[in-house]
Amino acid sequence: MNARSDSEGPARNVANMTPDRVARTVRGLSDKAIAWLFIGPTMLLLLAINLFPLIWTIQLSFTNYRANRPNAPILNIGLDHYRAILTDPDIWLRMQATAHFVFWTIALQTIIGFALAYLVDRKFRGHGFWTTLILVPMMLSPAVVGNFWTFLYQPQIGLFNYIVGFFANVPPGSFKMLGDVTLSPWAIIIVDTWMWTPYVMLICLAGLRSIPDYIYEAAEVDRASNWRQFISITLPMCMPFIMLAVLFRGIENFKMFDMVNLLTSGGPGSTTELASITLKRAAFEAWRTGYSSAFAIILFVAVFGLANIYVKTLNKVKAR
Amino acid sequence: MAEVSVSNVSKSFGATRAVRDLSLTIADGEFVALLGPTGAGKTTTLRLVAGLEKPESGTITIGGLDATHAPPAARDVTFVFQQYSLYPHLTVFENLAFPLRSPTRRTPEEDIRRIVNEVATMLRIETKLGNKATQLSGGQMQRVAIGRALVRRPAIALMDEPLSSLDAKLRSDLRVELKRIQRELRTTILYVTHDQMEAMTMADRIGVLEGGRLVQVGTPREIYENPVSAYVASRLGQPAINLIPRAILGESAVPPETATIGIRTEHMRLLRRSKLRMTSQGDLAATVRRVEHLGDQNHLHLAIGEHEMVMLADPTLELQNGEIVDLSFVNPLFFNSEGARIS
Repeated sequence: MNARSDSEGPARNVANMTPDRVARTVRGLSDKAIAWLFIGPTMLLLLAINLFPLIWTIQLSFTNYRANRPNAPILNIGLDHYRAILTDPDIWLRMQATAHFVFWTIALQTIIGFALAYLVDRKFRGHGFWTTLILVPMMLSPAVVGNFWTFLYQPQIGLFNYIVGFFANVPPGSFKMLGDVTLSPWAIIIVDTWMWTPYVMLICLAGLRSIPDYIYEAAEVDRASNWRQFISITLPMCMPFIMLAVLFRGIENFKMFDMVNLLTSGGPGSTTELASITLKRAAFEAWRTGYSSAFAIILFVAVFGLANIYVKTLNKVKAR
Repeated sequence: MAEVSVSNVSKSFGATRAVRDLSLTIADGEFVALLGPTGAGKTTTLRLVAGLEKPESGTITIGGLDATHAPPAARDVTFVFQQYSLYPHLTVFENLAFPLRSPTRRTPEEDIRRIVNEVATMLRIETKLGNKATQLSGGQMQRVAIGRALVRRPAIALMDEPLSSLDAKLRSDLRVELKRIQRELRTTILYVTHDQMEAMTMADRIGVLEGGRLVQVGTPREIYENPVSAYVASRLGQPAINLIPRAILGESAVPPETATIGIRTEHMRLLRRSKLRMTSQGDLAATVRRVEHLGDQNHLHLAIGEHEMVMLADPTLELQNGEIVDLSFVNPLFFNSEGARIS
């Protein structure tokens, strides 16, 4: 499109049709004012749905407010909730369970995801079809996945138990993935890995595709073995992508709620009770709104801090 | 370092015949440039010698050994790519040492240090050895890439337009340096370019490619003075050779089957019209269209009838646009209707 059609096209028509009074007002605005006019609505919306609830939560975390007793007097109790949460050994157990879940899901998803990406990147017959197939779990709703795996984990008729039993040569009904204190933390790790490995694979695949062929050709002429090419080209050039995938999965899994709530609701006992499940119980079962607000703020600060440190490292790796 | 010979090699990509029945021998220590426009098969030829592509027919021997089906690592070749193909997370030193550290070489570490320092000094990047490859300018990166091709002292170094991504000043600097280094090390180089200046200044011999065929091989001078076809003639010379239809010359003394006449820009003589001088036989009247002053020379754009021509002229010559001048030609080249040269 050339400048001529720009100045005489629809824009010119609109300008001509604008009433004089409006045109004069607009003409008086500076570029900066116009910029604010355009981003203003978005900013307002963001403030209303992001910042306002955050500030309100912070305010509530210093009170004894309970949402199920709106008429009870609200007392300011200062840092009492924070003190109670940070000294509660039960809370630390929940945090430990969360850390265990986050660590193992990330480790498994990164390793399997990268390996899958590495395999799919080779242009074999029908690789497009297989890539699409691998991506299916990621596209399912967590509610569907939760119910789906409840069936798979069913001791008598579940496919998972049947397959494991077949290969390990034990009766399928002899173990309960969701009902056993030692197995259930792994049960949720397996489901999350099954669901989100494709996502890590997708990001790693983008990384692998971004490495130009001629670098490999140069290495081949330089007589670098496949292993050396992998170590000194593939892995370092893919690293920023892998780290990004780890960041996304880490933040997501720190907040994991829906799928685990459907699978185990934190049980048996409280072995799979991740931080967000504790939070939900405190907020909507015990109705300790002030207390749960304080807990939410602590979680937020933890994730925010960790993510920031991580992003700094990521930038350093990228700059290399 | 060794003789490399390519004989009757062909390669197609689908329906495109990239290289057709190409034969070329590069002597030990020789610098051969392959010249041609995009799609002429230059890069494919280079990749065939490197082993990055496999020929459909023909043979390639490197140092007397048949390498036709050998993988790149088994051939004693190095390759400089058009793009900056450095390992980005490694330092300049590590990049240069990379080929020496391959398991088939097992060069002792102190030798590596000595060789890398030598090559780096030669390429004037010795102060950058500790830098990461990504912290270099384009010119420095390409020096490192060239250095990486030289540290191993290969049988042949293959270079695919290594200077084309650099700016004009750097390109001419590196051109001179590359030639100096090649002489010092007596490296055998097969060099692909579409820049006639690079081919003319660096190569011992130039091979001109057209549609996958090697149409002429010879020293830069031979190719320039004795092109086998109008195509080859138009590859060398800046501004390009003037190709004009025979009809313009009328019934002058030209070989009977001539269809096109090629006149290099420096092979034209200009006479100003004056009332005192009679027009001599064989002179042509031309109109001055435009004069480009380049300082050391003038490019005159002339028109003979409908036909535009460019001529090199004395920079002191004062001419007006629209002025009518007389031309005579020196050493014209005659081509037949297929474009082949008639001697």
